[in-house]
Amino acid sequence: MKLLDCPMNGPRNIDEFQSFGPLRQGPDADAAADAEWARHLFRADNRKGVVVEWWRHVPSNFFFLAERDVVTNEIIRTYAPGSRP
Amino acid sequence: MAGLAMRTFPLSPNGSAAEAVLPNAQLIVTDLTARSRFGIKGPGSSAWLEAQGLSLPPVNRIAIQGGVRLLRLGSEDFLAIDDIGAGGAAAKLIADWQAEKDPRGYWSWREEGWSWMRLSGQSAEAVMARLCALDLRPARFADDEIAQTRVAHLEAVLVRSVGGFDIFFDIASTAFFIRTVDAAAQLADGDTTTRENHR
Repeated sequence: MKLLDCPMNGPRNIDEFQSFGPLRQGPDADAAADAEWARHLFRADNRKGVVVEWWRHVPSNFFFLAERDVVTNEIIRTYAPGSRP
Repeated sequence: MAGLAMRTFPLSPNGSAAEAVLPNAQLIVTDLTARSRFGIKGPGSSAWLEAQGLSLPPVNRIAIQGGVRLLRLGSEDFLAIDDIGAGGAAAKLIADWQAEKDPRGYWSWREEGWSWMRLSGQSAEAVMARLCALDLRPARFADDEIAQTRVAHLEAVLVRSVGGFDIFFDIASTAFFIRTVDAAAQLADGDTTTRENHR
């Protein structure tokens, strides 16, 4: 069983979680061109290395952030939004 | 609203689980869905509850006071049920909230949206070990703790109760829940039926 450490509920089976993809800055709504919006909406960076991702613990509906190495699939740490260690 | 018989509890004659028979041997399943409870969530919920004189527990803990068991499911998400042996406190909270001119937080309709089942009896612990991946032994899961997790493959809120566990889950999944619990109870009872026997 793969475990993920939810900041609110503690270590749980990975089955209890849903991934919401990497945390990233949206384009400036007033200045961005169509091409920039299209890139933001439809293209993923997909870089090697450590990414910060949104995850949700489904039974408690708790959203949090996880740092994950996308090469080794190792979860480095998890934390609640606004409480970056 | 009086006179509008809108509520359909899961084991009522026309409910989705109407044909389900609750286990009642080594494992006893009791349907408590008809009991009153008050769910409140959203900004202002904790302030409103504090204004009622309740002191709030931390997230995933239970506070018992004045006949209410107050379950904190999130920073602004609460479920109030009557304390064991007490009655009327949850209904009073609902009445008080409705009587407010400008109520804060919003009513999360847990008495309509959630089934409430109690698993007790001598094999309750053994059956729960088959239904839930968490370590629920008394030393690891205390009386005042809440587990928001999966029980019987469903998202559920799990707490300890009289001689067993109380489980709150999506009311539309009641029939599935009872079938799954029944199968786990038979296995805990020594049934060695495997999937191969059904082929």
